[in-house]
Amino acid sequence: MSRHRLLAASAFWFVLCFQGLLRGQDADLIALQEAAMKAAAAKVAPSIVQIQTSGGLDIIKTSGRKGGVIRKGVGPTTGVIVDPDGYIISSAFNFVNKPTEIFVAVPGKKDRYVAKVVANDHTRMLTLLKIEEKGLPVPEAAPKKEIQVGQWSLALGRTWSSVDDPPSISVGIISAVERIWGKAIQTDAKVSPVNYGGPLVDIKGRVQGILVPASPRGEGETAGIEWYDSGIGFAIPLEDINRVLPLLKSGKNLKRGFLGITPKSRDIYSTPAIIGTVQPESTAARAGLKPGDEIIEIDGKKITRQAQLMHALGNKYEKDTISLKVKRGDKVLTFNNLTLGGQAASFQHAFLGILPMRDDSTPGVEIRYVFAKSPAAIAGLKAGDRILSIAQGKNKPQPIRNREFLINILNRVMPGVELTFNVERKGGKKEDVVVKLGKMIGVIPDKLPQPASKKNATPNKKAGKVETGILERRNGSGDHTYWVYVPEKYDAKIAHAVLVWLHPAGQGTKKELTAMLELWAPYCDDHHMIMIAPQAANETGWLRSESAVVEEAIRDVASQYTVDRQRVVAHGMGVGGQLAFYLGFENRDVIRGVATTGAMIAEGAAKPNVANQRLAFFIVAGDKDPRLPAIRNTRNSLADHNYPLFYKEIKEMGHQYLDRETLEQMVRWIDALDRI
Amino acid sequence: MKRYIHTVVVLVAATSLAATTSTARAQQRTSLAKVSEEVNKRMVKLFGAGGFRGLVAYGTGIVVSPEGHILTVANHLLDTQDLRVHLYDGRRYRAKVLVMEPALSAALLKITADDLDLPYFDVEKAAQAPLAKPGDWVLAFSNQFEIATRDEPMTVQHGVIAAYSKLYGRRGVFQPPYQGDVYIVDAITNNPGAAGGALTTRDGRLLGIIGKELRNTLTDTWINYAVPIQVVGKPYANNKESFISLAKKGEWRQIETVKRTGEGGFHGVVLVPDVLERTPPYVEDVLPESPAAKAGLQPDDLIVYINGDQIVSVKAFNEYMNSVPPGTEVVLEVRRSAKAGGSDKLVSIKLKVEKPKPASVKK
Repeated sequence: MSRHRLLAASAFWFVLCFQGLLRGQDADLIALQEAAMKAAAAKVAPSIVQIQTSGGLDIIKTSGRKGGVIRKGVGPTTGVIVDPDGYIISSAFNFVNKPTEIFVAVPGKKDRYVAKVVANDHTRMLTLLKIEEKGLPVPEAAPKKEIQVGQWSLALGRTWSSVDDPPSISVGIISAVERIWGKAIQTDAKVSPVNYGGPLVDIKGRVQGILVPASPRGEGETAGIEWYDSGIGFAIPLEDINRVLPLLKSGKNLKRGFLGITPKSRDIYSTPAIIGTVQPESTAARAGLKPGDEIIEIDGKKITRQAQLMHALGNKYEKDTISLKVKRGDKVLTFNNLTLGGQAASFQHAFLGILPMRDDSTPGVEIRYVFAKSPAAIAGLKAGDRILSIAQGKNKPQPIRNREFLINILNRVMPGVELTFNVERKGGKKEDVVVKLGKMIGVIPDKLPQPASKKNATPNKKAGKVETGILERRNGSGDHTYWVYVPEKYDAKIAHAVLVWLHPAGQGTKKELTAMLELWAPYCDDHHMIMIAPQAANETGWLRSESAVVEEAIRDVASQYTVDRQRVVAHGMGVGGQLAFYLGFENRDVIRGVATTGAMIAEGAAKPNVANQRLAFFIVAGDKDPRLPAIRNTRNSLADHNYPLFYKEIKEMGHQYLDRETLEQMVRWIDALDRI
Repeated sequence: MKRYIHTVVVLVAATSLAATTSTARAQQRTSLAKVSEEVNKRMVKLFGAGGFRGLVAYGTGIVVSPEGHILTVANHLLDTQDLRVHLYDGRRYRAKVLVMEPALSAALLKITADDLDLPYFDVEKAAQAPLAKPGDWVLAFSNQFEIATRDEPMTVQHGVIAAYSKLYGRRGVFQPPYQGDVYIVDAITNNPGAAGGALTTRDGRLLGIIGKELRNTLTDTWINYAVPIQVVGKPYANNKESFISLAKKGEWRQIETVKRTGEGGFHGVVLVPDVLERTPPYVEDVLPESPAAKAGLQPDDLIVYINGDQIVSVKAFNEYMNSVPPGTEVVLEVRRSAKAGGSDKLVSIKLKVEKPKPASVKK
């Protein structure tokens, strides 16, 4: 019995204690969490430095949603000590204006240090700095495998406070891991220029990651800046940074690793990872991967959809090695230890130097025009000659069916290759002409012979009654309006070029858009072009997501009229120009030319040129446009990617639309887009 | 028997446990709800001028006396003859502006009715408490976006104090009249209509007044901040009493916001020509026997800080030095190239500004 009493008594005490505990919890839980957070911040604080810069650009361009320019603040930014010998990691955003001098204040040290940039990690938007000091405190990294959704995460920064004060604190939780193709963790703490470069810290005071602006849809230092303080913030896991720290410390800039393939289908979420093209001289080409191969495994992980492949490859660095299993026909091939290459080599298209006659139902390709001093001119090809077949070396000659066929063959050969063309001269004489191909160029001839068409195109069968003139249309979901101009003398047997006008911010009223169509109408009539002028949903400019609306408009027009798919052009000014660039890079199966004025792309935003999806650029800048340096950079980066490029600076022009002379040049550029 | 007791014990424990848990939850709910209720009784919705150029016609205020004095932020809203106040219980009154003091980001209003006995915040008492610290959990109450009218309660947000810092909206870009320290809040508090709202501790003690919407010049991003209650609740500058106390009595003397420029002394620093929007302030020349020469400043030095404030351009240097009167000593931190004997740390230089010597100085 006494035992029973004892039991009852202890149970009674248990209940009492538990009640006490719960009451205590009620009163103190928040206080305990508050104290734990302050302690966590205080634990990391000695490793959080304040960075200030001097010199550099005042205004920087952004790849952001609005695609405009942003003014970088002048305030201090944040960095984290990652090595006792004075190495500091920070966000590349903090140095995007290319400062001439960098100064660092370290907690507990009286004098500020002059810092040097050691290296950049271009894949994760990080910059490593070095100051001359030893014995600095390095924070503990939270192991990646312990970082889980729902954990507390504190975003700490130094913009608001000197290094002798506590860092600024924003409280959140881990929202997701493995974001941005496996590179970042996501938090709902407020992440902004106030703490970019600072640490994301867990409740134990361990660093989960380094805060950076980031976006899954863009690369570069400023991508994602438009999401500041939005509850969507990103950090690069410190463990990942520590893994590559020795490389960065040696001064090596880290770049993304590329396999060198493009997918066959654009729908990455529901199609298997079948290779569309293999870039020449890439890792994939050297390993012997071929178009049509299906990648089914990478590093032991099964791949059933393209998106999985992108996740597996998206966080890889140059010189990382991977193993692949590939299905080719019935066979499964294994490729071990493939070393990934650097920036995907941009394809360099070859150039014969001719314009083809269009809409020709006779086999072969009639030469409409020969570019002066081009390989074709040197070899003696002349306008009026008809190319009947092509042979490379001693291979069997391939009969040329039509223009598309010839373009496809030329898309697969490199400059410098010698091809034998069997041509029929004007008099009917057939002969072989050997041409050594050159590099594709963006030159626009001063005068182009007309007509350009044999008027024998296959008319669009789906088309019902053909409407002409200025037409008002709405997209499928009904949230966007666009206007179309179809020449009054539209002829369904002539393939029409398509010109899409993307208006600048605040110039998208019906009146302004139809005025633009009217400006272009005479040229559309003379040169068989259909012009589309969509309207942005917001007055402030285009959203990237609206590229889908533009694409839909183009497809809609192509379903009703006879359209030349080799000459579909996105044309824009200002933010409209930014969208034109975006469309060009992201909708390669549709867009063949991008023509902009007063527009530029962010550094690193240019995508490499690829073989079977041609893209040409027509870039105009006014020499008084404040964006001129950025536009020049755009030109350079496009040239680096081997795109055929026409570039012009107009004297005494600011940020305004093309003058008549340039507009007529653009008309000839569109006419010559199917150059071979 | 043994088994029987066991079962009883377990049962008792389980029942009490369940009961306790639900009471605890109830208590927790009550405590926050109670704080919110108490704070709400001391807050008002304001309706006044606005409705154009993106300026809203509503705002928030707090009751600071039983007779109906209301503290809010000095802004466009008050620029009207028809200022209306909605109390927590739905009663509506007109109010008049007693004092507008942009330099303190504050305005004091008075409800035009007698015989009021309202619950209120004792601002001067609240101002006696120590400042909140980064990491402190706080609550913010305001009528942002005009969610509430009449007797509907304020929107309550929770967050933490992110930092206690100077309100950077300075030098050229634009300058809010209030230049003191603020609480930077880790919550999106500063929305349209929120200005004049209350920032409190999580038990409802008044910490500060939510400020107007501002973009800060440090990062060019929108900030969320509140002006500490000490600014209006403690004697300001040379006054013997607080703003609240003097304004109630009608004895507050408006602070004159004169721009202190043009009274700068002679320093003898000649900078490189100002050709860019943000030309780095490199020293081109140092006038002989000038304060700069005496202090040891050298040509090619890059001036990085004056008294700890970063100097980003030639313009910023001139603006700063134009407001430094003769006889004042400033600490320059300069970057000196290795050739000129510099190191990897900045060189600190003390420079005492002198009276101008018109004869010998070329402008």
